[in-house]
Amino acid sequence: MDLTVEKLAGMIDHTELKPEAKREKIKQLCEEALTYKFAAVCINASHVQYAAEMLKDSGVKVACVIGFPLGATLSEAKAFETREVVRLGAHEVDMVMNIGALRDKNYDLVRTDIEAVVAAAGDAHTKVILETGYLTDDEKKKACLLAKEAGAHFVKTSTGFGPMGATPYDVRLMRETVGPDMGVKAAGGIRSFKDALQMIEAGADRLGCSSSVAVVEDFRWAQYSDVWMQRDKPCWTCPSRQANLAKQPKEVYLYYKQRCLVCPDRNQNIFND
Amino acid sequence: MSKTSSDKYADAGILRVSLADRSVRRESLSPSLFTTYLGGRGLGVKLLYDRLAPHVDPLSPNNLLIFAVGPVTATTVPTSGRFVVITKSPLTGTVFDSHAGGSFGAHLRRAGYAAIVFEGRSSSPVYLWISDDHVEIRDASSVWGKDTGSTTSQLLQETDPQAEVACIGPAGEHRIKLAAIITDRHRAAGRGGVGAVMGSKNLKAVVVRGTGKVAVSNEQALNNAVERARRLIKKNAVTDKSLPVYGTPVLVSLINEHGMLPTYNFQEGTFNDAEGVSGEKLLERLSVRQYHCFGCPIGCGRISRVHGEEVGGPEYETIWALGPQCGINDLEWIATANHRCNLLGLDTISVGSTIGCAMELVQEGKLSSSLRFSKTDGLLELIDDIAFGRGLGAEIGEGSRAFASRYQSPELAMQVKGLELPAYDLRGVQGHALGCATSNRGGCHLRSYLIGPEVMGVPVLVDRDRTEGKPELVILYQNLSAAMDSMVLCRFTSLAWSVDDYAELLSSCSGLPVDGPSLLTIGERIWNLERLFNIREGLTSRDDKLPARFSKPLPEGGSRNRVVHLEEMLPKYYSLRGWDKEGRPTKERLKRIGIDKT
Repeated sequence: MDLTVEKLAGMIDHTELKPEAKREKIKQLCEEALTYKFAAVCINASHVQYAAEMLKDSGVKVACVIGFPLGATLSEAKAFETREVVRLGAHEVDMVMNIGALRDKNYDLVRTDIEAVVAAAGDAHTKVILETGYLTDDEKKKACLLAKEAGAHFVKTSTGFGPMGATPYDVRLMRETVGPDMGVKAAGGIRSFKDALQMIEAGADRLGCSSSVAVVEDFRWAQYSDVWMQRDKPCWTCPSRQANLAKQPKEVYLYYKQRCLVCPDRNQNIFND
Repeated sequence: MSKTSSDKYADAGILRVSLADRSVRRESLSPSLFTTYLGGRGLGVKLLYDRLAPHVDPLSPNNLLIFAVGPVTATTVPTSGRFVVITKSPLTGTVFDSHAGGSFGAHLRRAGYAAIVFEGRSSSPVYLWISDDHVEIRDASSVWGKDTGSTTSQLLQETDPQAEVACIGPAGEHRIKLAAIITDRHRAAGRGGVGAVMGSKNLKAVVVRGTGKVAVSNEQALNNAVERARRLIKKNAVTDKSLPVYGTPVLVSLINEHGMLPTYNFQEGTFNDAEGVSGEKLLERLSVRQYHCFGCPIGCGRISRVHGEEVGGPEYETIWALGPQCGINDLEWIATANHRCNLLGLDTISVGSTIGCAMELVQEGKLSSSLRFSKTDGLLELIDDIAFGRGLGAEIGEGSRAFASRYQSPELAMQVKGLELPAYDLRGVQGHALGCATSNRGGCHLRSYLIGPEVMGVPVLVDRDRTEGKPELVILYQNLSAAMDSMVLCRFTSLAWSVDDYAELLSSCSGLPVDGPSLLTIGERIWNLERLFNIREGLTSRDDKLPARFSKPLPEGGSRNRVVHLEEMLPKYYSLRGWDKEGRPTKERLKRIGIDKT
């Protein structure tokens, strides 16, 4: 992969979405985004105005989450939130899809929910968070198609607060579904440059990371050995390994675990490391 | 009076101290030495290789004892207050470097020195007092026989309360092969019996007060590099959170979960009472505050309160050696025993490991003693006996290799090249195992700390069970460690910094035109010279081996059903190193890395 430290940084949304984040943290986030020339900072709504001021004329965008992290609020509320953050300086919005509606096959609601945000965003780009950990593969594909139909610019794997993070498997599935002209953002659990490169290889063109500095800095190690990029044990990057009964609906959890039974790599699934 | 002049590392001197005739002379640091071996470990190894005749008895007057600092010491570079002791080890018979934190190294450098080389043996106990340009060999008879705490207090009173002391305790005086050199009361150049070499020279301590300013080559470049280096430490979860909060004992739970916490002398890899000796429990029960070495933003050291007394530590390795290795789960006792070892000047890793070996000998009916796994009864007294060379303690003080052989059970000594292995069961980490087998100083976790990538996922997680690619990684880490040790920086920085960061810090301090790849070449040069030293002493590829126990699978835990596949990795390692099948560096490789072996 022909990737430089600078190119990698330019694909990252430097993210801070924790509820306890103080202003000082957002300041640091913006300073780091300027230093490393990240694509954007990804933050909660109450920090948008401050970040937009700090990043003015820098080329680093402000991305704000909408309906976060559950996605179950009213479309009107998402649209209102979108209009407000764009007015305050957001260049991109990362909305959470109505996950329950998708699982109910209430596709009209899912689509109109996204359309409302896309319309409210105006020139700002809209990313649609699927929260893949609550969905089967067919549901992920359907969600991607609905987001595309609704005019969104990106589909995004996860909030980072749900049952699963991004996996190369899901990113590949999403890229195959939306095609080459729509963005795919991998987010959640990307902690190393190897994670990042695996997502890019699978088709992601944007990454959401809170460990962005470590990801970019550690990428300097890559020039000293190819061993870092050795193929992992298949289970390490499989969504089924992340499945968790405490965090997922029973049927979704079983959907993932039952795939292990017919997986061609099942003989390697002995240890959980 | 304070020293007003400042000097660059290239202008720093080497003090040659002849203990036999009590003379001192200052040599300049030759530019070629500095540019090819930097300082610290590299400088010491080169001096030792050139000036020490082969097959010298390590405890004879002919051995050299070298204290060294490096080209970034006492600058603003984080963790730059350390020093390293280089000598031929009485425990392993190999070249040996043993490092310590604290502030001693910073004072030595500020006094204007890159290294002190001790030669010969004094006819009576002495200590060296350095106050900037003033150097004096003083009588130490009043502190001979005293522990390291009392020695430190008294020598500071005799010299300067703001000075720093590196001294031996009774263990070093009795030339016990597990003897350490202690600085700042609880920081130890612990391994390899360097304290015994010091004792064999009748050298009780080195006391130094340095007040000079250390000049650097490019101050602005250094400021930028240091700002970046500190930022990276702050952005790293291990160096910014785990180590400051829990200290190194944070590893107890992690390593135990991986089934790699050696228990009952490596018979098992999981300790049922690990929680009771964990970093979390230390924080809740004993920890009073953090301890920072000179210029260190991490602060992994602990100060604990035990029985109303504040003591240093205990560190992860010590908790393991005096705890799970012996089946002991009493954290207070471990902290007490650690303190006792510090006072006596003993290496806690080798002491605990060899006691664990003795316990297994008893378990196997090969040694008659009251020692039992899990029992602390009589152990503090045994530690005293080790330091003073009495009874069973004297036998244990020879190290596990000699001790287990004495009882016809060499396979129960968990060591490599005579050095006791630290707190990682190698069956759970193939790369780390190869690193330990090929380490030039024997069973050491710090020559190539692959626990970073294989367990902690730093910089990325690699499959710990896989052998493919591990020789490459081990060589990368060994070369980097050799370079880092020659700059004399703390190993923990490598969790946050990459090769390029070290190169940048070095070049801005020293003016050397060093980048990442050339820094690794310097490390490779040092590694090969160490190998040549060991070959000259008679070591061969047969010494690149691990205890037979690692060829039998662990019965349970997170590393169950695994063995070390050394035979798969070693030939590839030799080949990548440019060594022949017997593990000897080829002329071509030596020429390529600038070693002219005549």
